[in-house]
Amino acid sequence: MSRPYSLQLAKFQSLIALFILCLALSILSDKFLTVDNGWNVLRQISVNICISVGMTLIVLTSGIDLSVGSVLALSGAITAGLLKSGIELPGNDLFIGFTMLGAILAGLLTGSVLGCFNGWIITRFKVPPFVATLGMLTIARGLTMLWTKGYPISGLGNNFAFIGSGWFLGIPVLVWIASVVVVLSVFMSNKTAFGRYIFAIGGNENASRLSGININKVKVLVYTIAGLLAAVGGIMVTSRLDSAQPNAGMSYELDSIAAVVIGGTSLSGGRGSIMGTVLGAIIIGVLNNGLVLLDVSPFWQQVVKGFVILFAVIIDKANSKAE
Amino acid sequence: MKLFKVLLLLLVIFAGCNGDSKKSDEPKKIAIVVSTLNNPWFVFLAETAAKKAKELGYESKIFDSQNNTALETDHFENAISSGYDAVLFNPTDATGSVANATKAKNADIPVFCMDREINSPDAATSQILSDNYSGCIEMGKYFVKTLNKKGKYVELLGIVSDNNTWNRSKGFHSIVDNYKELKMVAQQSADFDRNKAMEVMESLLQANPDINAVFCGNDAMAMGAYQALSAANKADKVKVFGFDGAEDAITSIQQGKVTATAMQFPKVIAETAATFADEYFKGKRDFPKKKPVAVELVTKENIENYIGYGKK
Repeated sequence: MSRPYSLQLAKFQSLIALFILCLALSILSDKFLTVDNGWNVLRQISVNICISVGMTLIVLTSGIDLSVGSVLALSGAITAGLLKSGIELPGNDLFIGFTMLGAILAGLLTGSVLGCFNGWIITRFKVPPFVATLGMLTIARGLTMLWTKGYPISGLGNNFAFIGSGWFLGIPVLVWIASVVVVLSVFMSNKTAFGRYIFAIGGNENASRLSGININKVKVLVYTIAGLLAAVGGIMVTSRLDSAQPNAGMSYELDSIAAVVIGGTSLSGGRGSIMGTVLGAIIIGVLNNGLVLLDVSPFWQQVVKGFVILFAVIIDKANSKAE
Repeated sequence: MKLFKVLLLLLVIFAGCNGDSKKSDEPKKIAIVVSTLNNPWFVFLAETAAKKAKELGYESKIFDSQNNTALETDHFENAISSGYDAVLFNPTDATGSVANATKAKNADIPVFCMDREINSPDAATSQILSDNYSGCIEMGKYFVKTLNKKGKYVELLGIVSDNNTWNRSKGFHSIVDNYKELKMVAQQSADFDRNKAMEVMESLLQANPDINAVFCGNDAMAMGAYQALSAANKADKVKVFGFDGAEDAITSIQQGKVTATAMQFPKVIAETAATFADEYFKGKRDFPKKKPVAVELVTKENIENYIGYGKK
């Protein structure tokens, strides 16, 4: 019964850390604990939450996905490009225009296909996830450059901008999207057989194989979901900026891995939770916001963030030893 | 292993001879080594240089250094060994890139620097430079005038390890800091990135709801800052200043969203570099060591003269 106990402890630690952080920032700045700023932080982290949920599922299977930032950029750019100018098929004068829904679906499909490809390479050719997704990081970034020709695609219209800057029932649309993603994935990881398989594979792959779980199928599906969620993030970023930037999502994989680790999910797999990652993402978001509110020098900000991540990993190590 | 090395050596010699025999009849080849293609400004610079080289009748190839001086070294070595005749060079680092340019010079390949400077008097045949510092002095003067010499502002810096980030910031502050009633309440980095600028600006507006202006180290950040201001219903109270002359910013000045930007002329820089290479091939040797390309202030008063990255 040691696993549930340490799981709870990890969750508890992130909560305490978040509480202390918020307390300190409220004392240091009277602007921190306001409703407006609260929405700011939530809007800013909603993209990272979507990506990090996918990352958590992958890390639980003891994998990793370095390609999320590039996949995000490509999916966002595909959506923006199709929305703005459709596709002209060379040769036979065929032009295909896209509705907003069509363009968004094409973006989501792009992310899913790239994620699926990651999973296929990893399971079919036994390539370590670190290497396979490192390849995809470069491939997807290159494809983004090809698709955008290196220039931003801007001016996507008010309807599309609603996703990134609109409100629904008093809550920003971005926050709604992130919440739906979190609720669905918590349900999936805790209440379905697929969720149990994910934990089992990360805990002990051989035992899982012997007990009849189709490991490859689960893994491919996990990477596909992560690709899909990166695409969701890509559409959110693109809409928020009203522009698809060719260099969007640079180093997002690091923020996302940081959220997962701070949230107490073990990088060796099998132990962790979606809610922990959400807390991790909130901690990073609050830290980013707070350091700017206090006008801390950009040099020091990087140092502070680095130490927070190290601290989280050290606690994680201590936990797994106790287990 | 020894046999392999000998073979490799033979191959190199053979390739070398091959290259030499080519030189007489085939068109000369120009390498365009650019610091990064992850920023539309540099994409435009590299593509314009390639276009001009083609117009002049040369073959050209673009090499992307990805902001990495070590990768740049590889590109130079490859360009030298595969028989390129000139390098149009946008360096990654003012000091780190000197060794790369020197390597080409020692192989009798002329190097023409574009936009960014290298700290060496003779490694490059000529340097065609965008004057970021002076451009931001003009920007600073206009900033002071627009704000009537008083008010609060924030500054968004570019990537803090980039020379141009500080050239721009220093030029700006050399003017603005003389006015005691113009107070900078925060200085933060947004990495030349539109999304980061939006997030940083959102947070800055919480801490400083009463600012009058924001000075951004490039136009992508100016656009991000404007978006945050617009979402907070403060776009009409806070003036946005950018730098670069990107298409988005020009359109935004027309629409009255952004107050001013500083136009750099990547087209002029790239075309001058390609033309210099052409003149070098035809025997000219006395090039100016440095050819500064002025940066022009773009505001609503003169916006009708400009398009993205250049003049109409």
